[in-house]
Amino acid sequence: MDVDGNHSRRSFLKATGGTIAAVSIAGCSGSTDESGGTDGDGGDSEASGTINYARGAATKSLDLHKIDDGESVKVTNQIYDKLVQFVPGKNEIEAALATEWETDGKTIELTLRDDVTFHNGEDLTAADFVATYKRFTDPEYEYYIGEEDATSYAGNTFGQVESVEATDETTVTITTKKKFAPMLRNLAVFAAGVMSEKEIKTGEQFDSSAVGTGPFTLDAWQNEGEKIRLKANPDYWGDAPKSEYVIFLAVGENSTRVSKLTSEDIHIIDGIDAEGADRIDNADGVELVQMTGLVTGYLAMNLEKREEFRNTKVRQALNYAVDTKAIVDSIFRGFASQSSQAVPPAVPGHNEDLDPYPYDQEKATSLLEEAGFGDGFDFTLTTFTNPRPYIPSPSQAAQKVRTDLKEVGINVTIEKKSWNDFLNYTIAGKHDACFLGWNADNGDPDNFLRPLLHPGIESPDGQDWASFSAEGYNVYNASGWANQEFMEKVEEAQTIIDDDETRLKLYNEANQISHDEAPWVFLDHADELRGVKDAVSGYKVAPVGGPFLHLVSVE
Amino acid sequence: MASKWFVVKRLLLLIPVLIGISTVVFAILHLGGNDPAAVMAGQGASQEQIETIRTELGFDDPIWVQYTRFLSDVSQFDFGESYVLKPGQPVWDSILVDKLPVTIELAIYGQLFGVLLGVPLGVLSAIKQNSLTDHITRIGALAGISVPIFWSGPLLIILFANILGMLPASSRIDTQYFIEGPWVFMGNELPLTGLMTIDTLLLGNIDAFFSAVEHLLLPAAVMGIYSMALISRMMRSSMLEVVRQDYIRTARAKGQGQKITMLKHGLKNAFIPVITVIGIQFGTMLGGAVLTETVFGFSGLGVILVNAIQAGDYPVVQAAVLVFAMLFTLVNLTVDITYSYLDPRIQQ
Repeated sequence: MDVDGNHSRRSFLKATGGTIAAVSIAGCSGSTDESGGTDGDGGDSEASGTINYARGAATKSLDLHKIDDGESVKVTNQIYDKLVQFVPGKNEIEAALATEWETDGKTIELTLRDDVTFHNGEDLTAADFVATYKRFTDPEYEYYIGEEDATSYAGNTFGQVESVEATDETTVTITTKKKFAPMLRNLAVFAAGVMSEKEIKTGEQFDSSAVGTGPFTLDAWQNEGEKIRLKANPDYWGDAPKSEYVIFLAVGENSTRVSKLTSEDIHIIDGIDAEGADRIDNADGVELVQMTGLVTGYLAMNLEKREEFRNTKVRQALNYAVDTKAIVDSIFRGFASQSSQAVPPAVPGHNEDLDPYPYDQEKATSLLEEAGFGDGFDFTLTTFTNPRPYIPSPSQAAQKVRTDLKEVGINVTIEKKSWNDFLNYTIAGKHDACFLGWNADNGDPDNFLRPLLHPGIESPDGQDWASFSAEGYNVYNASGWANQEFMEKVEEAQTIIDDDETRLKLYNEANQISHDEAPWVFLDHADELRGVKDAVSGYKVAPVGGPFLHLVSVE
Repeated sequence: MASKWFVVKRLLLLIPVLIGISTVVFAILHLGGNDPAAVMAGQGASQEQIETIRTELGFDDPIWVQYTRFLSDVSQFDFGESYVLKPGQPVWDSILVDKLPVTIELAIYGQLFGVLLGVPLGVLSAIKQNSLTDHITRIGALAGISVPIFWSGPLLIILFANILGMLPASSRIDTQYFIEGPWVFMGNELPLTGLMTIDTLLLGNIDAFFSAVEHLLLPAAVMGIYSMALISRMMRSSMLEVVRQDYIRTARAKGQGQKITMLKHGLKNAFIPVITVIGIQFGTMLGGAVLTETVFGFSGLGVILVNAIQAGDYPVVQAAVLVFAMLFTLVNLTVDITYSYLDPRIQQ
């Protein structure tokens, strides 16, 4: 998910045919881990107090089927529940509205809790999930959201689904077109949240209203989503919310947001840059909470545009020549770690045997000589200028790349573009090389390798790159790389349901191939940073599926 | 008092001015070379999709057709639909209506700060010419003119919010308050104004009112400092000129007290050039709103204008620029009318 994104991924769906995916960590049969839930009776403790949460932008909409930006998802995650969910703070799946599930690879049968009510008082049944699914994906359905409004998550989440049926009141059966390992994880993504059939059939808009089953209900919506108040749901089926209210506030300026945490009434903030992190670290009464994120940042070399980059030795040389340790330590101020592959360490399938390319100019020079570019060459590095979660200081990082590559005879021209222009430019494949990055949607390795390094089409014979203008090309593969061996492994892994070991081995191998072939200069895995007041307890950084604010209390 | 005819004449003159402004706005965006159809289609859209949008929305019509359509829509306060910030939603209803009061409130209080401090300081400076008070005021004014908002803003925040902890550094009101309409007056439900300090009073929430005032103090001061400096300088020199006039000597000669001489005969006449400065400053202040809103986390017209420019959301840019221009013209109109009250000769 494009956490801070104001850019739709709608067209990505068109480009990839909507086959984004994930791994079944829980295996073929669901666990019924209740994660200490109080099982419906709401617990004894009274909810009290208010959590004030400041983020960088307003919530665009609360409609699960219209949103793809983190600022909206943070709020809907409090209001809507999914059939399964991420364990708070971890990249693992646990029971939520469904208590158990069975799968044979193509069909998943999920059993729903029978004690859940929506905020409007209606009981949750399997029909609610079916109606939600149809509203999102079925143009024939009377209350279909419409192709214009539906986000690419319709395809990302349900693209492989053939049918969804309510077998009885509490059983949902999901059938996929082929064996599709990531399906269960997709059900934990925000976009698979369950809406009330009764509300859907009113045909109302759910931009600034919401009826879910989650721990909080919508209480007030102001200034087009800049300020939102949620109230504890006393009938929540899981752990009872510890705070009575949550207020989400939009504070656009990074430094102002930090000030509001350190000296005003805000309890939790996100979207923290390196400078803000230093300030929070040095302030009293607040804490900087840090965790390696499910993100990856890289420099993609465009094989289609530049012949030089089609030579593996040149690509490796660039990896040796750029001092990524210095970038991570000095420019990103240590709030990131060096990267050796696309899949971040906290995601299964991450190959632990791989080390980041060391900074070695001699090696780089000799590789360039072997490749016949001893005299170097010129290229243009295109970068965005606004901080992104995966590359917090893009301009400075680009400068560093230029300085480092000059040492080995490669002259880099830096071209800066605003975010939207940048995306349009790189998606069209006009760049020689560019910075880019990715945030996990469902915490699955497929969700990194498939969209970022798979071309989405067959590569031409004996050629390990594809053309951006080819029909069906996955435009998020910014290097145009199309390695047959890599593609086969990723495709095979997607269909393995009941054998985690084999599946993860395939991903390990795929990571090894991309590391060696080096279509990117692997840059970093940035940390997730949050600023939290000392008065707050129970808050955990959740790199995916969060924040879990019902577990949070404020003194 | 200004004659009705004068006011009507000034109002009619607004029409060509506004047409002129909208033409310039229209031209600038069309010379920009950005393809609105491509922006709307989004990333990775095919050429075909872009063409469809272009035809649907009439971007391929001759420029004068687009221009007349634009003028007729704008005259009905229809600024079109947002491309990026709120895709498909009307610019006026879903964006500007909320943001405009934020900026207006900021500008009003900023100007209030400037006038309330600038005028007395200027008068004081003039009456006590070449005294220590005069020198301090003049040096202060020089400093006020020289200091940019993006420096004074953070500085005041560090002092008053971070070190002293006296005033809040951002937002329009404490997080806990949700100021929501409608408010009820004599049994009628009326919409709120969007001005925090007014709305809190309308709703009878005194705590929230004080919170709103507290939140306005720093930004208003930051915006007002520059204006205060200019006003006090202008007031001083204008006042110095006036006190040397014959009618002041006449007033004194007939034995009138210093206070009445200065306030009634002096101040009123000295005000005319100051009014001009206040009017122009109000315009500058709308421009300064971009910086102040950013520094203090107010989400007003200035911030939305910058966001819209960055995102390539042309209808929003057009609308915001037009609204700024209209406000400026209206302020100028008010200044002109005030002139004619202060000096009826201007009407001729």
